[in-house]
Amino acid sequence: MSELLSSLESSGFSTWVRESPSIWAYPTILTLHTLGLAVLVGANWMVDLRVLGFARALPLAVLSRAFPIMWAGFWVNAVSGVLLFVADPAKGTTRLFMSKLAIIAAGVALIIMLKRRLYGRAVEMDAAGPVIKAMAFVSIALWVAAIATGRWMAYAV
Amino acid sequence: MTEAIVDWLKATSLSQAMSMSPVLWPICEMLHFIGLALLIGGAGLMDLRLMGFLKSVPVSAVMQVRKWAVLGVVINLITGVLFFIGAPGQYVYNSAWYYKLLFLAVAIINVAIFETRQGKRMLTLAAGEDTPASFKIAGAVSMGSWLMVLYFGRMLPFIGNAF
Repeated sequence: MSELLSSLESSGFSTWVRESPSIWAYPTILTLHTLGLAVLVGANWMVDLRVLGFARALPLAVLSRAFPIMWAGFWVNAVSGVLLFVADPAKGTTRLFMSKLAIIAAGVALIIMLKRRLYGRAVEMDAAGPVIKAMAFVSIALWVAAIATGRWMAYAV
Repeated sequence: MTEAIVDWLKATSLSQAMSMSPVLWPICEMLHFIGLALLIGGAGLMDLRLMGFLKSVPVSAVMQVRKWAVLGVVINLITGVLFFIGAPGQYVYNSAWYYKLLFLAVAIINVAIFETRQGKRMLTLAAGEDTPASFKIAGAVSMGSWLMVLYFGRMLPFIGNAF
């Protein structure tokens, strides 16, 4: 595993992302990762907050449109995240990064579950239930944790 | 002048705390990114409606998320000021920071003008109603300038060699 990682690290592409002075290498990938985060988490929180009972005038039906926006943000970050991993594979073996991935996996699973619950059957039946409210609450917390672990990676040695 | 302000700020105990503490700066960074997501989520939703998307919802309903966008801005202004106090030299000698402030000013002035001139009219737009051209422009300027604030914020360490 470590052999694989070190050969990845010494590859031309990894070196380019990491060391190129070009603004299109590391800085642009990092900016895309930040943009994807804001789009994914921002859209997700708006739905979660609505489910929790804020902004009640906003029909839940229209918020189904927020889900493709979340997926757009997710895929931007999956791709930019892979590129950031390639640039610095050693960071990808830390417990902190593993925790971040686990948190994101749980967050994404919750997005899928929440969407099914909200739009799978009669919307009004489920929308105010305690289960879905708990899911929305946990969803907000998971993305806070994803941001926290992601940011911490820049400071942890 | 600039140097004097930087030196004076760096001597304050708040600046020392921000730059010396191993946790204060990272915690502020986390909050800054949480504020960013709240802002982009809330403002993005409102801007889309102003631009003529999501027409099935009355504008007044979409405006209910305004408080979350405002909360995001407030969190980021507070943490942003703390970053500035903590390491003023990273910002005052950094061209990216001036671009960031410029677009922040554009975004805030745009909101202020729109709210004062169209605030009442905006709330009368019912479900299904399209927005007038002035609304579409205000929404596009808002979205564009916030994205530029994000861009130049993320580029702070990479443009201007001030870090």
